Amino acid sequence: MDHLGKFTDQVRNRLIGILLIDNVLMVADWWVAEHILQLNGWQLFLSLMGVSILSLTVLPWLSASYLIQPTRLIWQAILHIAPDTANTPAPDLRQVRLGRELVTSLVGHIYQLASNAEEVEKIAHAQTLDLRTDFVATNLPLPLLVLDKSENIVFANDMLLHYIQRDASEVIGANIYTTLNLSFTNDKTFTRWLRHAEAYQVTSTQSWERVRLSLNDNARTTRLFDMAAYYNKNNASHHETMVVFFDHTDQYSQDDQAMGYVALAVHELRTPITLLRGYIEVFEEELDGKVDAEMQGFIRKMNASSQQLSTFVNNILNVARVEDDQLELRLRKEDWPEVLQATIKDIALRAEVRGITLTVQVEGKLPPVAVDRVSIYEVINNLVDNAIKYSGNGKEIIIKSALTADNTVETTVQDFGQGIPESSMPHIFDKFYRDHHNRAQIGGTGLGLYLCKSIIRAHNGHIWVRSKPSEGSTFGFTLQPYDQLADDQKTGDNTGIVRSAHGWIKNHSLYRR
Amino acid sequence: MQPTQPATPPTPNGLKVLCIEDEHFISELYVRALAKAGYDVTVEVDGKRGLELAQTDQFDIILLDLMIPTMTGTEVLRHLRDAVETPRLHAKVIITTNLEQRDDVRTNIEHQADGYLVKAEITPRQLVEFLGTGK
Repeated sequence: MDHLGKFTDQVRNRLIGILLIDNVLMVADWWVAEHILQLNGWQLFLSLMGVSILSLTVLPWLSASYLIQPTRLIWQAILHIAPDTANTPAPDLRQVRLGRELVTSLVGHIYQLASNAEEVEKIAHAQTLDLRTDFVATNLPLPLLVLDKSENIVFANDMLLHYIQRDASEVIGANIYTTLNLSFTNDKTFTRWLRHAEAYQVTSTQSWERVRLSLNDNARTTRLFDMAAYYNKNNASHHETMVVFFDHTDQYSQDDQAMGYVALAVHELRTPITLLRGYIEVFEEELDGKVDAEMQGFIRKMNASSQQLSTFVNNILNVARVEDDQLELRLRKEDWPEVLQATIKDIALRAEVRGITLTVQVEGKLPPVAVDRVSIYEVINNLVDNAIKYSGNGKEIIIKSALTADNTVETTVQDFGQGIPESSMPHIFDKFYRDHHNRAQIGGTGLGLYLCKSIIRAHNGHIWVRSKPSEGSTFGFTLQPYDQLADDQKTGDNTGIVRSAHGWIKNHSLYRR
Repeated sequence: MQPTQPATPPTPNGLKVLCIEDEHFISELYVRALAKAGYDVTVEVDGKRGLELAQTDQFDIILLDLMIPTMTGTEVLRHLRDAVETPRLHAKVIITTNLEQRDDVRTNIEHQADGYLVKAEITPRQLVEFLGTGK
């Protein structure tokens, strides 16, 4: 501030000096003109005007360049340190004619600030390279991963390397998606979160439960854990995303064992079913024509029942899989009428033994659909089984397929039976739901429609029901054309698209948008 | 709907099938249906002996159960697909099982085998159709 006061004094004194010089010039001009040259009135006036014009042009110009010099030197110092104009030479402070102390002090401050900023940048840069020597990063007692903007792994602590059984050399610099085969329990995957964060946020935090990591092709070496991640768009050291794992393999795999029990029970049930179906087939072949029509009818009913048993066992198994998020669909490009006919052919006997005709109608030409044959078989099986079960006096079931206005393939199964009471409609697809009017009359587990819904949803379709008591019910479901789904998933090949009951689950490049 | 089977003796189709299956009732049904269609069937109940038989490369089709004694079907398959141990196997290996497993395990097995069938879902006749058409 002292410098500023001194500078102000200097400026004021210089201005007074300049004005004094101007006045002296005027007086001197008048004296010379009057007394030495002895000019008359007009000539005197012109002489004074001349000096006045001269002082009005030259003096302000001289004083302006003189007074502005300190500002120019400070400006030059700023240009000198600014990165864009760094080729500007440093100001020569010896030239300072006015406010030397102020200018020297200000320029000194400017250079000091510049060097401080450089220092800060250097420290930040040093930190960038040295997560490996960072106490927290290396010693965090949890597996930790750091990704750069391209989602390549720039840092992995020892806990992580040990956890995923890899060497640093295999992991560092590799893309997270090619390195870690992560599966999520629903479609809110890591990738989806990251895409959203990149597009709309500066920082973001997210966590996931029951994430599964397959260490290699052998499915026995999987890790189950919770996961948390932090995203920071503007991280100076390009550490954009940080991911931490919380292992729960022991706890979560115990839940898997429940599934293991169902699988075991299913195996035990399937062996007698295989035998029953095999021997019934032998009867059919060997006794054909040798026993009376009634006996033949019994054999066919036995056959139909054994098929039904097989469907029931698969229902139990598949519901367990849905619950455990182990139902994986491999959606492939299939000709829908062909899939439909092949499935109906298997079910036809069950309708036939109850005196019901199955009619299949395919309207127009349908595009190939994206379906998992095994699972969709279960859906048609369950819908037609239900239609048979609830047909009552109805003797026909119509299965219809057509392309809808919004370009999906819709299939309906219509029966002309007792229909569904209004009150049951909202719950019909719930697990274990059984209409209380029917519970005592018609058997069932309440699993079939729940399973149908899960499978259709996993196909990216939707399932619905329309019914009028005593007129019958129509169940319908939609399937996406394969090309449309492949487009949606940005994959043009026919390698199959994997989906679970809860949505897209694999978190690898196939699904990256 | 019911096809009438003419009472003609089976015409051999020259194809040899090895059925590695420990459930006797099931292999009995398979042998009956396959023999009827003209296949020459050998049954083996033991995993290790089944593998040895398969490695002699005298079969065209191998039906392989997964839950079998002394060596699991998955292991048998792995040995059969090991290029050093089993160099030139021309047989098609079809898994026939009632075992239910995690999808990734199943996918892994399916990749190595030529077919994967759940026994409870097919009758012996459908098995014969599958071997004939691959569908």
